[in-house]
Amino acid sequence: MNHNIHREVSDAGIAILTFDRPDSTANIFDQRTLDELGEHLDFLESEKSLQGLIIQSAKSKIFIAGADLNTFTQEMNAERVAVVIERGQKTFDRIARLPYPTVAAIHGVALGGGYEITLACDYRIASSDSATKVGLPETNLGILPAWGGSTRLPKLIGLPNALEAIMNGRQYPAEQALKRGMIDSIVHREQLITVATKKIQQSGAKKRAYKMHISNRPPLSKVIRSQAEKKALARTRGHYPAPLKALEVAYASLNASHEESLANEKNRFIELAFSETAQNLIGLFFLQERAKKLKLPKELEPAPAVPGKAVNRGLVVGAGLMGAGIAQWLSSRGIRVLLKDVGPAPLGKGMQSIAKIYGEAVKRHLFSETDARNAFDRVLPIYEEVPLRELDLVIEAAIEKLDLKQQIFAELESKVPADLVLASNTSALSIDAISASLQHPERVVGIHFFNPVHRMQLVEIVRGTKTNAATLDTAIRFVKQIGKLPVLVKDSPGFLVNRILLPYMVEAVRLFGEGYRTENIDRVMLEFGMPMGPLRLSDEVGLDVSEHVAKELEGRVNHLAPPNNTLEKMIAKGWLGRKSGKGFYQYGPGGDEKINSQLGEFQSAEPATVNEGDLRDRLVLSMVNEAARTIEEKVVDAPEDVDFGMIMGTGWAPFRGGPLRFADQLGISTVVSRLNNLRERVAPYFEPCALLAEMANHGTNFYPQKKPIPPTESER
Amino acid sequence: MKEPIYIVDGVRTPFAKAGTVLADSEAVDLGKTALRLLVARTGIDASQIEEVIIGCVSQPADSANVGRVIALRAGIPDSVPAITVHRNCASGFEAVTQAAEKMLAGRGDIFVVGGVESMSQIPLLYSHEAAKKFGAFARAKNLSQKLGVLSSFRPTDFQPRIGLQLGLSDPVCGCNMGQTAETVGREFNITREEQDAFAMRSHHKAVAAREKLKQEITPVYLSRAKGGQTFMDQDNGPRENQTMEALAKLKPVFEPETGTVTAGNSSQITDGAAALLLMTERALKESGLSPLGRLEGYAYAGLDPSRMGLGPVYAIHRAEQRTGLSLKDAEIIEINEAFAAQVIACQKAAKSEVYCREHLRRETPLGEIPDEILNVNGGGIALGHPVGVTGSRLVLTALKELHRRNASRALVSLCVGGGQGGALWLNRN
Repeated sequence: MNHNIHREVSDAGIAILTFDRPDSTANIFDQRTLDELGEHLDFLESEKSLQGLIIQSAKSKIFIAGADLNTFTQEMNAERVAVVIERGQKTFDRIARLPYPTVAAIHGVALGGGYEITLACDYRIASSDSATKVGLPETNLGILPAWGGSTRLPKLIGLPNALEAIMNGRQYPAEQALKRGMIDSIVHREQLITVATKKIQQSGAKKRAYKMHISNRPPLSKVIRSQAEKKALARTRGHYPAPLKALEVAYASLNASHEESLANEKNRFIELAFSETAQNLIGLFFLQERAKKLKLPKELEPAPAVPGKAVNRGLVVGAGLMGAGIAQWLSSRGIRVLLKDVGPAPLGKGMQSIAKIYGEAVKRHLFSETDARNAFDRVLPIYEEVPLRELDLVIEAAIEKLDLKQQIFAELESKVPADLVLASNTSALSIDAISASLQHPERVVGIHFFNPVHRMQLVEIVRGTKTNAATLDTAIRFVKQIGKLPVLVKDSPGFLVNRILLPYMVEAVRLFGEGYRTENIDRVMLEFGMPMGPLRLSDEVGLDVSEHVAKELEGRVNHLAPPNNTLEKMIAKGWLGRKSGKGFYQYGPGGDEKINSQLGEFQSAEPATVNEGDLRDRLVLSMVNEAARTIEEKVVDAPEDVDFGMIMGTGWAPFRGGPLRFADQLGISTVVSRLNNLRERVAPYFEPCALLAEMANHGTNFYPQKKPIPPTESER
Repeated sequence: MKEPIYIVDGVRTPFAKAGTVLADSEAVDLGKTALRLLVARTGIDASQIEEVIIGCVSQPADSANVGRVIALRAGIPDSVPAITVHRNCASGFEAVTQAAEKMLAGRGDIFVVGGVESMSQIPLLYSHEAAKKFGAFARAKNLSQKLGVLSSFRPTDFQPRIGLQLGLSDPVCGCNMGQTAETVGREFNITREEQDAFAMRSHHKAVAAREKLKQEITPVYLSRAKGGQTFMDQDNGPRENQTMEALAKLKPVFEPETGTVTAGNSSQITDGAAALLLMTERALKESGLSPLGRLEGYAYAGLDPSRMGLGPVYAIHRAEQRTGLSLKDAEIIEINEAFAAQVIACQKAAKSEVYCREHLRRETPLGEIPDEILNVNGGGIALGHPVGVTGSRLVLTALKELHRRNASRALVSLCVGGGQGGALWLNRN
């Protein structure tokens, strides 16, 4: 039988537990791993001759990635979750109670339960490898550290640092973890066991003694708590209860016994885990994992016999905002990039924006100065003709004009090998149209990045009707290679994300035209959980771009109503949004911004009564209706794709699980009746799509409903 | 030469007056810009390069063997070795001829050579005496020791020595480069007006040649925009409307009372870089590229350091002995303009029977260096003289000019601080 944990006892009399999950690159805490750990603890507790314990991982990138999240989703109920939490707590307590010094030798990521087990050890020594990171990301999933993390970390490193780690869920590289006391020292990976052994021998068989942090006592602790609470409320707008519950638990641990605090962790965890928020956030985690495993569609299988090779050298055509952003991202992932444009002026601008992104990344410690410079060096700006022999991929990111793109592709085709994949970053044009006159349209695919490229993880891979398996395979591999998350979409107007987002942005401008105030429109959506209001978003995108894309989409999608002429009039005034300093908002030089005070002339008088429910429905249900249509028209395969795409591509209220999950949770029949109501009162385009109407009739949902089952005997 | 050495292609950055647009660009960034564009444009497989050889006079302290640093940062595989070479102002020649010598010796077929110089970033230095005190301060163990060292500092200790100035002085003869120009100017009886007229012509020729020179320039993209400028794509040394009046207003720099050498009739202090691709005939055939031309022969020669400006005369003479090619064979000639006085002196010396007999032991003079074919696109006075780069720049500019004129032979030469000259014969065919 394959074991998850191996045990040996070294010549120095030190037990070493090595986590090494068979057939996997990761270690996680599932049922069986906890069982095995329990069995090893039986030995560790009874073997009197042992001098110490070292816990390590055999994996190259991961120490222990945490608990198996599947435990907390499907088929769960409170009793079952309580059992799992208690088991982990008890097991880690047994480690903490061992009579000799214990050391966690951390190489790779130690997250959640994977970091909590190290907190039960006396010492934490980490490798200097860049893969090594520690943290407690639970609150990002809507839950909290409940295997002793919320209890032990404040005692170990003091309340302020502990709250930062627990409430923000950040992952700390070794250097930063050391500064905060989350680990005790950093050594080269090869020296972990030697140094851990020495540490045990030097500690003279004694357990570690902990000093009391002054910040853990009143009045300081009270001040810290209330500051952390304020900050969290401002950040979450009350949508995310987990950081606040975690704060409550961590703060209470200062004045509670260990056992009381563990019980507190468990009870609060259960309260959180059953909320829609936690379920949606955990669901999002699985959607990300799902995207990482994206494969060719079934009808294109089997995949090409010779799989697409890794991309080492790419050509990016167009050094505008998107082209430069793509070049920056590729160069940061080790790819050499030829960045092509028509002359030094656009290239100069593009290189500036790339330099700026790297500059900020260095400031934020995402790159060392040397790494950033070497990455920057990988981008070669060119405007003259150069041989294009050694390329692995071309991404076109020129301006959105069909004839220009067609010309670029025709020119490329005459210069590059016949099997080289040619991708377009178009957000508005059809892949089929771009490739229509090519000799080899089968090698053309859409690889659509979102702005800003270095922040947005989502990439839409657009399959044209002629795109072949090898091309699609290369595109999927490439997107995974550069650490982005792909969603596969059909070549249709606006693809997935813009198709759903645009009607919403257009509706926001319509509401504005009807007299609703900018601040009300944006506030309603911020409160709904969007990262920014729709009018503010138009400003960010650029009013000219918004207008262009909206018109383009409206011309190609039958049921969409034409946008009003508000944007047109604003553009005529030279107001293009943030880039021109003025749009719905006014942007000062010092980064200050306020509502544009000259907007009045573009609006009707403010409606006598502002019904915020209406406002919200008109905006949100526009998206839900359009999202349902993408399923109806098979733009994507599954509701998961829609929700994942909207959350990752637009920041669509993650705790609501995406527009279709939201529709399910609101109730499809409610969605339909509200849309019908809007159709009658406001405009015909609110007519629910056929799919929604049919689902309401049959009482079906986008997602299957879950039925909880109680814990099995073995879990107890 | 026993087999042809081809100069396949070349490219340079624009030249920028020191302290201007490229002042914040490190030498490595400039070298990288030229090198990687050369590789991209020719489409060669960089792993097939035998060696990278870069000329540089003032190597940045933080990039020892700057040639290696440039090669790596230009994306040339780490398996390709690189060296930095130094023959003062002829460092850019030295890179070419050293590669040629290796190829002739059968040590490789493909070389990337060039030159780089950031004269803006030549550092200020502390004197050795001051440095010793800093060292002692760092080693001092307690407060009283530290105070003891501190009290030994004198104001002069904090007065840096200007690296640029030191580099442009000859430690053997004890004179500045400008003083050597004054010397040859005096000895050949060259007036201030002659020098200024020469300088003015250099500017006029360079301005007229802007479009031509663009053919050899690749832009430098600035990592920090300067006053809204994000790139530089042409030399900023040439003055559009240089006049005799403006030149006449300048004071002599080196001998204020009696001198004739001014900032206006001397070469400019400049930042820039250049890169050339060199191949043997075999490699050229395999590459399928068509070359700019080939190296027909070359020579370096030494002379009295205090008259270093006459170096070209000695080098051209020696090259003639090697190749049989004489001045009349040249359809165009480049002599870098370190100083107007020095180039004019070369012209005079070359046609002087007396000088050639006494100093070169020749029966006949070297011959005419006609103004009409000399530095037809301007020289160091207008374009600037980034010392490590100029040699490579001359080769590149001359070869491109041969193509434009549909001519065959060019002679390129320069004087070298420390008392040397270098001369290369280039042939387009």
